[in-house]
Amino acid sequence: MADPDFHRQALAHLDALYNFAMYLTRRPPDADDLVQETYLRAFRFSHRFEPGTHLRAWLFQILRNTFLTFYRVREREAPVAEDGVPEWDVPMFHHAPENDGAAMDAHTDLERAMRRLPEEFRTVLLLAEVEGLPLEEVARVMACPVGTVKSRIFRAKERLRGLLRDYDVT
Amino acid sequence: MSERFEESDDLLGHGLAELPRYSAPARLRVAIVEAASPAPRRPAWLAPLVAAAATTMVLALLVLPVLPRITPADPLQRYVRAVVSEHSRTLMWGARHGEIVPTALAWVTQESGIALPKVFAGDDRLTFVAAEPVYLERQRGVAIHYRDVDGHMLTYIALPAPGLAVPDRARVQIGRWRPALIRDSGFASWVWKQGDVGCFIVSDMVSADDVERFKDYFARVRATTEPVLAY
Repeated sequence: MADPDFHRQALAHLDALYNFAMYLTRRPPDADDLVQETYLRAFRFSHRFEPGTHLRAWLFQILRNTFLTFYRVREREAPVAEDGVPEWDVPMFHHAPENDGAAMDAHTDLERAMRRLPEEFRTVLLLAEVEGLPLEEVARVMACPVGTVKSRIFRAKERLRGLLRDYDVT
Repeated sequence: MSERFEESDDLLGHGLAELPRYSAPARLRVAIVEAASPAPRRPAWLAPLVAAAATTMVLALLVLPVLPRITPADPLQRYVRAVVSEHSRTLMWGARHGEIVPTALAWVTQESGIALPKVFAGDDRLTFVAAEPVYLERQRGVAIHYRDVDGHMLTYIALPAPGLAVPDRARVQIGRWRPALIRDSGFASWVWKQGDVGCFIVSDMVSADDVERFKDYFARVRATTEPVLAY
C-alpha cells in the first residue's frame, strides 16, 4: 500500500475525478464505483507513479482506462428508460447542483450533444474544456501526441456545433 | 440558448467550462480511505498458536487409532467383558451363523475347537436358539444362545482358558456347583471352569428375583453340558 502522504495528495483530486466520472458514466452509483476503483488501483500501483510528474493526469488516465475496461461495455448496452428513450440520451442535470432555468436548457443541449460524441472526442473536451487540463496533460491521459489532442478538440467542437444545430431545428 | 454556442469557438468553450460540476459525496471519500487502510494486524501469537493447535489435532487423529486400548488388567474381567460384548452383539444383531445342534455340532466343533459330548438343547423354560463358533480373547470358542419364556436372552460361551482363575469371593453355591457371579456393563455372568475350559453364561437378569431364576438356568445348562478341548 502507498504511504499516507501519497493518499492525501491523491485524494485532493477526488472532486475533479468524480466530476469526470459523472460525465462519463452519467449515473452516480457508477461514478462512485468508478472513482473508488480508480483510487484503489492508484494506491495499489503507486510505486509506478513517477514523482515530479503530474499526479492529476496520472489519476485521470487510470480513471479513463478503468472506464474503458469495465464501464464502456455497459454503456454500449444502452438501457431504455420507461419513456422509450435510451437512458444515455436522457439529460442528467436533474441531479445537477445548479437549477437556473435558462442555463439549464443550454447545458442540457450541450450535454446531450456531448453524449453523442465518440468517446475520444468527448473525453478530450471534458479534460481540456471542462477540467481545464493543459494539453500536455490531456495528451498523457489520452496516450497520444499533443497535436492529436488539438486535432481532436477541433473536430469535437465541429461535431458538437453540428449536433447543437440539430437540436435547434427540432 | 444553444444558438450562441454555434457562433464562436470561445462561446462553446465557455459553455463547456460552465457545465455543472459534481462534488464527490462525503461517503465516497470515507469509503476510499477505509478501503485503502491496511487491515488490522492479527496478534503475533495467534498464527503460531493456531498452527500448533492444528498440528496437534492432526497428530491426535493419526495416533489415536493405533494407541493400545484400555483393557482391564484382571484376566477374569477381560474374559467377562469379552463375553458380555458378544452377548450384546447377539442381542442387537442375532447370531452370526445360527445352527441347530446336533445337526451342526461337528461343524461347530471343527470351527471352535470345543467338543460338546453333552449339550443342553432346551426344555420347558429355555429354548435353544443357535450355536456358533466365536473368537474372544484370542481364543476360539463356542457360543450357544437360549431364550427363556419371558424373552430373556442367555448366551453360553465356552473357551479354552487354562490360566483363568475364578475368585472365591464372588462364588455362589448352586446345588453342588459354586460358580462366580460377575456383573459388568449391566449384565450378569456366571463364570466357572470345567477342566481347562472357561465357561460363561451371560444374561441381563440382574435383579434379585431374576438372579434366582438365573441360578436355575445355570443349573439346567451346567448339568447337561460338557465342553472339552477337541484338539
